[in-house]
Amino acid sequence: MEEQLKIDFEKLLENSNFSKKNVEIKRKNFNDFIEKGFPNRREENWKFSDLNQIISKNIKNLSFYHDLSKPNKIDQSIFIDSLEHNKLVFVNGRIEKIEFDYEEKNKIQILDDLVLEKPNNANNSLLFLNNAFVSKYFKLIVKKNYSLLKPLVIYNITNKDLVSKSVNLKVDILLEENSSLKLIELSNDKSTTNFININYNFDVQKNSILKNYKIDNNSNSNVKYCFNNINQDTNSVSEIFLLSSGSEFIKNEINCNLNGKYASAFVNGIFNLNETKHHEIKTNINHIVENTKSYQLIKGVLEDKSKAVYQGKIFVESKAQKTDGYQLSKAILLNDNTEFNAKPELEIYADDVKCSHGSASGSLNEDSIFYLMSRGLNYQEAKKLLINGFLLDVVEKITDTEIKNLIKNIINL
Amino acid sequence: MLKIKNLKADIDSKSILNNFNLQIKPGEVHAIMGPNGSGKSTLSNILSGKKGYDVSGEILFENKNLFELEIEERAHKGIFLAFQYPLEIPGVNTNIFLKTSLNAIRKARGEKELDAIEFLKLVKLKAKELKFDEEILNRQLNVGFSGGEKKKNEILQMSILNPKLSILDETDSGLDIDALKIVADGVNSLRKKDNSFLIITHYQRLLDYIKPDYVHVLMEGKIIKSGGPELALELENKGYENFN
Ligand SMILES: Nc1ncnc2c1ncn2[C@@H]1O[C@H](COP(=O)(O)OP(=O)(O)O)[C@@H](O)[C@H]1O
Ligand SMILES: [Mg+2]
Repeated sequence: MEEQLKIDFEKLLENSNFSKKNVEIKRKNFNDFIEKGFPNRREENWKFSDLNQIISKNIKNLSFYHDLSKPNKIDQSIFIDSLEHNKLVFVNGRIEKIEFDYEEKNKIQILDDLVLEKPNNANNSLLFLNNAFVSKYFKLIVKKNYSLLKPLVIYNITNKDLVSKSVNLKVDILLEENSSLKLIELSNDKSTTNFININYNFDVQKNSILKNYKIDNNSNSNVKYCFNNINQDTNSVSEIFLLSSGSEFIKNEINCNLNGKYASAFVNGIFNLNETKHHEIKTNINHIVENTKSYQLIKGVLEDKSKAVYQGKIFVESKAQKTDGYQLSKAILLNDNTEFNAKPELEIYADDVKCSHGSASGSLNEDSIFYLMSRGLNYQEAKKLLINGFLLDVVEKITDTEIKNLIKNIINL
Repeated sequence: MLKIKNLKADIDSKSILNNFNLQIKPGEVHAIMGPNGSGKSTLSNILSGKKGYDVSGEILFENKNLFELEIEERAHKGIFLAFQYPLEIPGVNTNIFLKTSLNAIRKARGEKELDAIEFLKLVKLKAKELKFDEEILNRQLNVGFSGGEKKKNEILQMSILNPKLSILDETDSGLDIDALKIVADGVNSLRKKDNSFLIITHYQRLLDYIKPDYVHVLMEGKIIKSGGPELALELENKGYENFN
């Protein structure tokens, strides 16, 4: 694989016109990746999901260069039609559409000629890989005091032209003071066996609100990693919702720094898995200053031989008094061959805090099934009712009614 | 309507029901009384089709072998069990559940399914009859209901589904006298020449309000005595220990 990496990296530099500065940074990141390689289970963070193994098992002859010079056709049928929205469309890693028809033009800025920064997590080789191979790196700025009138949907589409390739995307989003954004990320993959590596950086400034809905619902054989870094200033709110369902493998990692007083973060997620799918949600919520709040609720329904992992960490700095941290995960295992691994972690250096965590998993309650069937529902109907009921309270946490209904529709709730 | 012949039921090779016989004709109300652990809930569960028992013998419902019918098919045919301990189903709205249930049964019977408006009309009417607070029907099924509300919810389901054979498993336990009367009214209003009832109870009290045609005494999985309503009084006076 190292040979391939080197060839593909040189090909990328040859066929792109990166600034000198960026080429330098890319080379550095490339070398760092070569040194570390894909993460494996010897790393604490990856002990339930050995990415190195997952990639070699699922992807034959992974390559890293994809020609992005030619535009791709966008399959319009993928667009959400029940919701008016702004669009950013990526096809096979190439930006194909930027459309903010609903917004005041001078309130939104998009930059793409950016100097790469060194990843702030020196241990994460996938960020090195991303920096080395990402072609265009975007930054969206929402100006001070502006709330987007409609949600933004980032479509991440892959099609049949893409096989056994690595796709790297990097997007920064800055919400200036007192602004707000509802962001839906929707992936749609018709490609097979690719490694898709996405890096989001959110900077949520004073009094701003970020709502981010990550929807991975259409079944595909790709292996994905999505790293989200969120910095939150005073009195800001982030609401993250994850629907983790379609990809063969996906790990969503959320690193959230509550840097300003009264900042709060909500992470709610659903695993809805079948076959051999293996998904992970990993969170680090860092309470840096006092009076910050975090809330995490993750639920999973696992069928066949699927596997879900939730590693949720709450970190409380010594000066972060009056921290409120809550975390709960639950899973229904529909089959003996499924696996749910929950690893809650509290690291607390302040003394006046309110933190709790809990986790539970088990099979469908047969007595409940009997109760519902005795009222005329067949087994499938009873099962569906119980599962929907189980998942409903996570979806009910979504504060935007329109998007809540969209997601209810998507998962047939 | 219901014929149980030589029913034997074991769990994990422990005998629960043994040589159990019972016949219920259309329109009849039978009461089964028995101490804790005598097998009353086991009998109700087996009639409704719960799995996990080793059973032998024969149960005919309207001349059909019950053992050949799935749980939901028995419901479609008109068997209803009011549970001793109704289950809490989080995230499932009570009204939506009731509608799903009623329409599943109507569909299986080849009747037209009710739309939202027709259903709401029916449910309002039935809830009113049972003095059941409609607000409760917008809550999650049995979640956070008081003991009495859960039992009344069972009776509400019974009166909406209008079954041929209703089995009430200790519906009276834990009810105050007002709730007891409401439950009894619910049963009595469904009493028609084709509807039968099997009323399982620990105490005689409920039978003051629902007059049974027959009373059976169940001990250790077997009916040891059958008679008319007077048998309930005799039991009440003597107590189970001194009966026999
Ligand atoms: N799932 C079970 N496993 C083992 N024993 C059971 C089970 N259910 C009931 N029993 C036993 O069967 C007997 C009858 O129980 P049950 O039918 O619930 O009695 P009742 O309803 O009359 O109080 C009791 O001894 C009880 O312990
Ligand atoms: Mg009982």
